[in-house]
Amino acid sequence: MSADTQLLTGYDAGAARARFGGWLARAAASLPVLWLVLLLPRHADDWTNNAIFAAIYAMVGLSMNVLVGYTGQISLGQQAFLGIGALTAANVVHTGTNAPDPFTFALGIVAAVAISAGAALLLGGIALRIRGLYLALVTLVFGAVTADAIFTIPALNGNDAGVSAYRPSALQSNYSYYLFALAMVGICLYVDVWIRRSKVGRGLIALRDNELVASAYGINVLGYKLLGFVLSGAMAGLAGGVFAFWSQEFSDKDFTAAAGFNKALIFVVMVVVGGLGNRAGVVAAAAFFALIDPLLAGLAHHTGWLNYYTDHKAYISNIIGAGLLLQTVIFNPGGLGQVLRPFTRWFAGHRFSLHDDHGDAAAAALVGAGDVRA
Amino acid sequence: MSVLEVRNLTIRFGGLTAVDGLNLTVNEWEIVGLMGPNGAGKTTAFNCITGFYKADEGTVVYRGRDVTKLPPHRKAALGIGRTFQNVGMVKSETVLENLLTAQHIKAGYGALTALTGVGAVRQRERDLHAHADAILELLGLTEVRNRPLGSLSYGTLKLLELGCALATDPDLLLLDEPSSGMGPEEAHELGDRLLALRKELGVTMLLIEHHVPLVAAVCDYVYVLNFGKLLAEGDPDHVRSHPEVVAAYLGGEAPEALAETEVPAEQAEVAVATPAAAPTRSGGRGRRRKESA
Repeated sequence: MSADTQLLTGYDAGAARARFGGWLARAAASLPVLWLVLLLPRHADDWTNNAIFAAIYAMVGLSMNVLVGYTGQISLGQQAFLGIGALTAANVVHTGTNAPDPFTFALGIVAAVAISAGAALLLGGIALRIRGLYLALVTLVFGAVTADAIFTIPALNGNDAGVSAYRPSALQSNYSYYLFALAMVGICLYVDVWIRRSKVGRGLIALRDNELVASAYGINVLGYKLLGFVLSGAMAGLAGGVFAFWSQEFSDKDFTAAAGFNKALIFVVMVVVGGLGNRAGVVAAAAFFALIDPLLAGLAHHTGWLNYYTDHKAYISNIIGAGLLLQTVIFNPGGLGQVLRPFTRWFAGHRFSLHDDHGDAAAAALVGAGDVRA
Repeated sequence: MSVLEVRNLTIRFGGLTAVDGLNLTVNEWEIVGLMGPNGAGKTTAFNCITGFYKADEGTVVYRGRDVTKLPPHRKAALGIGRTFQNVGMVKSETVLENLLTAQHIKAGYGALTALTGVGAVRQRERDLHAHADAILELLGLTEVRNRPLGSLSYGTLKLLELGCALATDPDLLLLDEPSSGMGPEEAHELGDRLLALRKELGVTMLLIEHHVPLVAAVCDYVYVLNFGKLLAEGDPDHVRSHPEVVAAYLGGEAPEALAETEVPAEQAEVAVATPAAAPTRSGGRGRRRKESA
């Protein structure tokens, strides 16, 4: 129990102080969370469907967390990796209307991860020596070019009709596929935990804060920046693979340049609102942004505003997103993760405390750039 | 064989020759000082030696190997550690995390292995934690172990930075003004600490330092730079009574300036040693600049 909880929240082992009774209390407190994640989506099939989408966004959020949160690089082209992953998975499996066998399915997912990681290596290689506004522009162009030049190749998108991507028989039902998607989120979380606990995360954070200091510590700054891009691309590619079998096809209509840009903005907003470098906050914020439309629609339905909502749907969620972004940047730079931190710390076995020096300092350091010169 | 041998090191920024034909040798077990007024090119020389700047001319030989063109992280991996003039550490991390980050080279596992979290990685991480704690104890910083850097005083940060440089397991340590921000007593303590470090860890050091008593206490040999050129070298006592060095720190021309004002040698020494003499420097330096232009 203790090891698992620490794994999820990522705090240093050995610092935990809770006794058996404390862990029992924590187990009890985690029941509502488990109910929310595991049982609630089972109630209605369209909510299972939405929950899968939230899981996909959670993976994208974690991929943005590696790139923006740890490595300190901006990406406005993350949706391209999602698309490349989806395209790869659908084309590798390519069984027409038949369900693939589990091996082919696994191969499709693995290929999605590998090809996206390769694409990220390419983008990272181009982007290595540029930063800030120019990096944002390059990633933006990367996203647009991928959408217009790769996703539109007829041989790859089923002659514009889409490539079907059926699930293997064991994952036919939405709920079983949801559990699979959760397992994939689990893999991303596990990798994220070990990024943060090992020299990998320390190297990425060091180069984010100060490249000179990082190289004085013997960290290969260019190599680690590339590694940050590749890990991020791999996670986004995994999300893309899961996306393909969720919508059961790859269609370039889902990944047009315009729609892609909208997605890219949401991805950046959700990682900032979630809290840069804070996996619990990022996952929660990603799920929120994935579910905002169905949540609002449900709310509008119950309050009798459904027609009004449907008419203005296009921008209501954007306004909420913009509001949350402003609120985060101005009042709460640590994001949702900072708000959740007392609770995640408690779940990890620490004493409950609203005051947390380190989190505040990390958030402050993220906002103010490092100013050490050699 | 000397640990570090710098031959004819030259770097220019546009029309300004920041370091001009510097020759410098650091032998095994020595603590060598690099002095000079502000803007003399000391830190630039450091940056060339550690690979942060590309020298235009000259060679840097480390233990018989030409390392002039190696990038900084390769030099760090070879055992050349350094600190920065205004505290170079990872600001968003805690004290402990900084010491772990500094042990990057010694982590002993691959980056991709790390992500699997296998037992070997866990074991190595425990070792790194233990080593970090040992360094904290050595420097007497154990009580700030889990504090964020932002909450520490400047003197503590400089000390911790030294700890981080030690955590990279250096064989040659380049310290850029280790005593800045410290009072006389702390600086004295730092001197003892540096000597103890050499004794216990066998680290050879090259340090930029303005605090003359500290230089006199720890350095075996001193080089003095002025306007990028080597002005004087020798043991600390010889250098600090050197008329040109005194003139460089106080401004004015040497040795005529000294003769004009008829400052006895002892008094000039005291003036060099007192930071309060600094304001009088600016006028003299301006004059020198104009003449050299």
